[in-house]
Amino acid sequence: MKANYLLIPLLAWATLSITTAQNRPARSTGAVLDLGIRLQNSVNLYAENGITAQYTHPKLASKRLYIGLSYVTSRLGTALNSNAIKQDNFLASASYYFRPNWLVRPVARVNVGYFAADYGSSLFDVLPKTSLLASPEFGLCYCPNFPLKINASIGYNVITGDGLTGPGTLYPVFIQTSVTWNILKSAKN
Amino acid sequence: MKTIISLVVLVVAGLACSSEPTITKDMLDGGTLFDPSLYNPGKYLVSKATPNPTAEQARKPVIIACHGYSATTFEWDEFRTWANGRTDFQLSQVLLGGHGRSYEDFKKSTWQDWQLAIKDEYEQLVKAGYTNISLLGSSTSGALLLELVSSGYFNNRLVPRNLLLVDPIVIPSDKTLSLIGVVGPMLGYIETEQSAEEDKVYYHFRPQETLQQLQKLLTVVRQDLESGIRIPPACTLKVYKSKKDPTADPVSAVLIDKGTKTADGKPIDVALIDSDLHVYTRLTLRSQVTPKDQQNQTETFADIVGRVVR
Repeated sequence: MKANYLLIPLLAWATLSITTAQNRPARSTGAVLDLGIRLQNSVNLYAENGITAQYTHPKLASKRLYIGLSYVTSRLGTALNSNAIKQDNFLASASYYFRPNWLVRPVARVNVGYFAADYGSSLFDVLPKTSLLASPEFGLCYCPNFPLKINASIGYNVITGDGLTGPGTLYPVFIQTSVTWNILKSAKN
Repeated sequence: MKTIISLVVLVVAGLACSSEPTITKDMLDGGTLFDPSLYNPGKYLVSKATPNPTAEQARKPVIIACHGYSATTFEWDEFRTWANGRTDFQLSQVLLGGHGRSYEDFKKSTWQDWQLAIKDEYEQLVKAGYTNISLLGSSTSGALLLELVSSGYFNNRLVPRNLLLVDPIVIPSDKTLSLIGVVGPMLGYIETEQSAEEDKVYYHFRPQETLQQLQKLLTVVRQDLESGIRIPPACTLKVYKSKKDPTADPVSAVLIDKGTKTADGKPIDVALIDSDLHVYTRLTLRSQVTPKDQQNQTETFADIVGRVVR
């Protein structure tokens, strides 16, 4: 739920900044490779943190379309020094950034991937512990005129556990914040 | 455009103000049918049946059986029927606070209210001199009993001999419960699909307020398990969990197994049951019962009593 606290001020700030951002200088024309961290929290379950990367090129919808990879795990979140279940999420994503000249841009993303949980005992081998992942995400990206991006969004896991099929700790709604740096550009992204 | 926005706001506001459920007098919710333990507590509670036990009675094992969310003492009636004639243990069937009365009573109850009935019976038995008490909980009562342990309730009291949890819930199967804080006020209540006969012993309507209470309880217990729960010395814990369960996700057993240790740091006992029923020990009023279901029930009853009387 901590990501809520990041999302709310970001939304408020976006409202104030959008109107003033219309006349920002044009973006650079090269490829972008953003690398950074992704902080994710399933509503009423675990915090799962990890790394993320995304790439775009002028030929990818004029750099509005990004393709990316992420790995988040409860090992770096709630399960760190606790008895929480250790679980891993491997994600491939496609993101579309609207309003490329705005400082704060709406972002729509689709993730697909693989989920695996470690129950820690062979006794539980009969229970579902892996699943495909599929989730749309909607949010905002703070994209200043240098290589930093701060992205906050809310996502919905289409596939979850229901007690009969699917891992029980795969929850529907998550909130994520990612902070990335474009390593292909040192001054402007 | 402003008109459209205003209409959308009105529609959303209208949906948010949900109506009251249509309760009939044939439902437990109606305030005309009540749990039978309220009329005849002596038939259900050992503390009321034998408030002044002899030394021999006080030494005889007592099992306090506690039901799940929205249920009643009915949930453990079959255990009493199965045990009929046995004289080597006594059974107390507790009615959780807010349950077995009316929709309004249920709506205003908290999880602490639900738990209070368990504490009351336990304290009455201890006060009367009973020395061999075990706690048996199904579904939500599993969470309530774990919370009793983690909160230190037994630190300065007689310690129970056994904690026995049948299909305890920590993780719900229906994951929309995790969103109840947002969607609950819009829904008002949730209606359950159950037979007319089940309507007499389980609440038909689940007020969103109680679902929020349930979510709060589950969050407290999950976080306690993440930190680690140590059960008191000379007390055992066993979890009986259906491998498939449409109400309490089987992964609840994993969380309890990982998060709970005996007083000397050993693992607890967990049995995964080949069943797809929630609270598989309750078979009465089920639409379909297989020989395997009956076998699971009797084996679990025998195992519970075997642990209590040994």
